[in-house]
Amino acid sequence: MQEYSSQAAYDRGEAVCVIGAGASGLIAVKNLRENGFEVDCYERDTVLGGLWNPQNQHSPLYPNTHLVTSRSQTEIPDFPMPDDWPDYPSAAQMLTYLTSYAKHFGLSEHIWYGSEISHVEPVDGSRFEVVVKPAAGNAARRLRYAAVIIATGHHWSPNLPSYPGLDQFRGTVLHSSQLKDPSRLRGKHVLVIGGGNSGADIACEAAVNAASCVHSVRRGSRHLPKYLGGEPADYALARLNSRPKFLRRFLTDRLLKGPESLAARMGVTAESRPSEEEPVRNGRYMEHVGDGSIQRRGEVARFDGFDVSFADGTEMRPDLTVLATGYRPKFTSVEPRLLGIEGDSPYPNLYARMFSPRKETLAVAGLVEPGVGVLPIVHWQTHAIAHWLLVRKSDPERAANFRLQVRSESEQDAGEPAGTSPRHRLAVDAEVYLASLGRIIDTLEQEPAK
Amino acid sequence: MSLAAWVRRARTPAPAPVKREYAFFEPADLFDMDIKDDPEASPVLCCTGDPAGAAAFNALWLKRIATSGRYAAAVSVRGQGGTPIAEGGLEARAHDIVQAAVTVPRQAVLIGHKEGAAWAALAAGRYPAAGLVLVSPQKVPKQPPTPVGNPSVLLVVAESETQTKETQAVADAYGIAPLTFAGSPDDVFKGAGAEGLLDAILSWLASKKD
Ligand SMILES: Cc1cc2nc3c(=O)[nH]c(=O)nc-3n(C[C@H](O)[C@H](O)[C@H](O)COP(=O)(O)OP(=O)(O)OC[C@H]3O[C@@H](n4cnc5c(N)ncnc54)[C@H](O)[C@@H]3O)c2cc1C
Ligand SMILES: NC(=O)c1ccc[n+]([C@@H]2O[C@H](COP(=O)([O-])OP(=O)(O)OC[C@H]3O[C@@H](n4cnc5c(N)ncnc54)[C@H](OP(=O)(O)O)[C@@H]3O)[C@@H](O)[C@H]2O)c1
Repeated sequence: MQEYSSQAAYDRGEAVCVIGAGASGLIAVKNLRENGFEVDCYERDTVLGGLWNPQNQHSPLYPNTHLVTSRSQTEIPDFPMPDDWPDYPSAAQMLTYLTSYAKHFGLSEHIWYGSEISHVEPVDGSRFEVVVKPAAGNAARRLRYAAVIIATGHHWSPNLPSYPGLDQFRGTVLHSSQLKDPSRLRGKHVLVIGGGNSGADIACEAAVNAASCVHSVRRGSRHLPKYLGGEPADYALARLNSRPKFLRRFLTDRLLKGPESLAARMGVTAESRPSEEEPVRNGRYMEHVGDGSIQRRGEVARFDGFDVSFADGTEMRPDLTVLATGYRPKFTSVEPRLLGIEGDSPYPNLYARMFSPRKETLAVAGLVEPGVGVLPIVHWQTHAIAHWLLVRKSDPERAANFRLQVRSESEQDAGEPAGTSPRHRLAVDAEVYLASLGRIIDTLEQEPAK
Repeated sequence: MSLAAWVRRARTPAPAPVKREYAFFEPADLFDMDIKDDPEASPVLCCTGDPAGAAAFNALWLKRIATSGRYAAAVSVRGQGGTPIAEGGLEARAHDIVQAAVTVPRQAVLIGHKEGAAWAALAAGRYPAAGLVLVSPQKVPKQPPTPVGNPSVLLVVAESETQTKETQAVADAYGIAPLTFAGSPDDVFKGAGAEGLLDAILSWLASKKD
């Protein structure tokens, strides 16, 4: 440890360290404090809100980003969004919402901005020494905590594909997170690569702003409109889950019949079963394919000078290529092994998708793609983590039983990654995962046997 | 709020939104040099079953609460005071309270009077109130939801109500003993009885650690 300042670490006793002040970090701070913990939250940027804040250096927001999940399915369970907001709020509203959440619960006074955590080291059994990288010039600070919650997000390190000739390509290539300004599309011949939500949204922006738009996808994916049967689609589908099983299938098929036949007509077919991966949620996309303002193509084969060739033998000369190829999870501060990261894969293997398999007092919040709103899931995750830390302190015997339960919950969930692409390693079936979280919370909240 | 309760609610149609009447008074509005906004003191949000709604708190309550250094607000639920009538029963009214609570600048204490106490009790099952004060409660469900975030709860009733079933049931549900105030449960907005009641609530608020 000599690489860090030789000063002794400042011991913060029973306090908990939260890394990141995005949505997940804020919810973690609030729920830990509600359960009586002292909390220090470290944010490497100078602002809160994480990816919803355009001032965050790593913000992936692109022109006109709106939620793809509807308000009622996205809001934090104990802090609803204003009910006069639209069904699908904008990124700016999302930031307003998170800012008022932080203000309402007095979270800011627990956040240290401009404080990147560069290292988290287990010490003394279950405690951690945390190293705060100095913003400018000063020595690194070291502090000790009883527990650490990592809420650093997984949408800030671009996943960049490699193609023959891409390095020498003469045209402009940007990752979706670098696009920012809509005027960049205006009048251009645009190629968008990648068929996730970012790719579909940006193709739609290009459809109305650019001179032309080609959208290249390497495989089919499931598309949902933003409304189904007159209701926000995620809400309409979630509601069916409270119907008896035999009816559910029938009702779901009936609701999806129209959109599915439209997708088929446009040549967009899914390769996976529903719930195995996040759907693309976009009401405009098919219309643009239908009126020709988005031309769909298959996979890119190579880049050459100013030209791009596709696997089907066609070519084009784009003014601007947008790589909407998603993100890779990246954990910079903690030894991968502690998160169950093995080999070359960047994907952690956590108990119940949140607890470190190695350290009882280390957890991750928000590392799931549930295909529904992420914030409510994080609310229940951090609720569980806070209760876990309480039980662990007060009742070691129950804590041990609980670990066993969580392990078995995780084993049911483990096995093969869902979906067909590595990115779906984070995908969970929200219905199944919430049920599992519910069981975990029930066990933790049971009155201890006296 | 349990996870199961949230799942159920997220899958139930939300009450129709209404434009809610909301009255508030801040310590600074008193123009009194001696009264300072206390940043440590939780704001207060009041509601009553009285049809006047938020306006009922204008005569005395809001100013008086602000005098103690707290941001003071009151809301009219659907069909009350200046808030239009809209569909929905108890649940929708609790929704109105929660919607008002999240617009209060900081985590708020909920004070409910008469039927308003029932709405506040339900609201506290979804929103982590900084405290819950039930004044002469009426129509509180037999098993009110466990308040989120474990706030302290105060039950205050008129002397004439101490022995009623209603009072007993609420006291039992929250495991607390009622405090009493002199005067009638319908006459809490002005007069000597109201002053005494407010004193009791404010000193409880000041004593509870939040
Ligand atoms: C374009 C886009 C649109 C989306 N739309 C939706 C949607 O419609 N609905 C939905 O539910 N979800 C959506 N999501 C998912 C989104 O990830 C979640 O809504 C949520 O914002 C995730 O928050 P987070 O706090 O986990 O991560 P982030 O918002 O990324 O926050 C992480 C924070 O940690 C900080 N940090 C990182 N490393 C360190 C370190 N070492 N030390 C200190 N601080 C650090 C970062 O600066 C950042 O502030 C979308 C994602 C993207 C990319
Ligand atoms: N408006 C919104 O609310 C909104 C908007 C954007 C994103 N999001 C969320 O943010 C997250 C990230 O979304 P995203 O769309 O940026 O990324 P994503 O969902 O990971 O999608 C990436 C896309 O790029 C493709 N791709 C990846 N590597 C490739 C390669 N080497 N060659 C060709 N194609 C490649 C993927 O294809 P494969 O499927 O074959 O891997 C996929 O179609 C998601 O959770 C998403 O829901 C939300």
